[in-house]
Amino acid sequence: MHEEEGESLIHVAINAETLFHIGPLSVTNSMVGALLASAVLLLGAWWFTRRAALVPSRLQSALELPIELLSGILAGSSSRWRSYAALILSFFLIILVANWIGLLPGVGTIGIHAVEEGHEVVVPIVRPASADLNFTLGLAIVAFVMFIFWGIRANGAKGYLLELIGEPRYMAPLMFPINLISEMSRLISLSMRLFGNVFAGEVLLATMIALAPILIPAIFLGLELLFGFVQALVFALLAMTYISTAIAEHHSAGHGDEHDGEPAPSGDHHPAAEAATA
Amino acid sequence: MAPDPGRPPNWGLGLDLGIRLGLSVAIGLGGGLLIDNWLGTSPLFTLVGMVLGIGAAMVTIWSVARDSMRK
Repeated sequence: MHEEEGESLIHVAINAETLFHIGPLSVTNSMVGALLASAVLLLGAWWFTRRAALVPSRLQSALELPIELLSGILAGSSSRWRSYAALILSFFLIILVANWIGLLPGVGTIGIHAVEEGHEVVVPIVRPASADLNFTLGLAIVAFVMFIFWGIRANGAKGYLLELIGEPRYMAPLMFPINLISEMSRLISLSMRLFGNVFAGEVLLATMIALAPILIPAIFLGLELLFGFVQALVFALLAMTYISTAIAEHHSAGHGDEHDGEPAPSGDHHPAAEAATA
Repeated sequence: MAPDPGRPPNWGLGLDLGIRLGLSVAIGLGGGLLIDNWLGTSPLFTLVGMVLGIGAAMVTIWSVARDSMRK
């Protein structure tokens, strides 16, 4: 009996589980997680815009801290950082909230009883959105499309294609598929890393809770808090690096964007930004 | 416990490069396998895909190194 309870506790499905259907749409537990993360961010934004003061309170300072950290890095990434700052900050915030939602009590443990392959399992009502590949792939596709958009904007559609074909031109039949695979690896790398890390964290937590329900999981919850932050930061910074590299290629190609670019902020020589665009 | 602002991009690039190397070979190999299954030409496209994937991994290293040196 105890073993059966243990089995049901360490049940973590790799794919998100369907809770109910709305017409043809299957509503999964990770969709609930994503909606919760969006709701938290929307409510937070609404509350923050109403209460924000020029002289910030302690809470406001604490909330602004990660944004200021990332904004500082963004500001030095390229001269046109304002064009993509909102996107990168949105990536960071939605991933951070989605990751941390998984650590709340009840998430992953409160669920509906179901029978799978003869075993009774608990299908969680809420699953962290970033523990579902569909969510991370969706974010990676947005980042990838923006990267291509900046590549095309910087070099033109023809220039971007020529870059994929590479030099010398007679090597195109070999270099085009090679460059295409290399570009595709960006997309899959972004999505798989986030999914893999968050999903592994979920499995680890579920296993620890099943093995030692008291005290031990607290250590791993603390680690997951840190990993959630680091993963959100890594995703946002990589998306920023890809975009700023596309812009840097434009600069180095000698097209010059001084006319249409944003003026560089005063703190342009931010060490992190220099490393990021490197 | 916020990381040093000077470090994250470097970890990011390191992690990214490590994963992309493996993924490039996997994409080439997987694509080749799919084409072979579709056309029944096994192992022709699997081998071609593997070579292209290894080439893509090398190109990835080169492009990251070039971007790093450019700065």
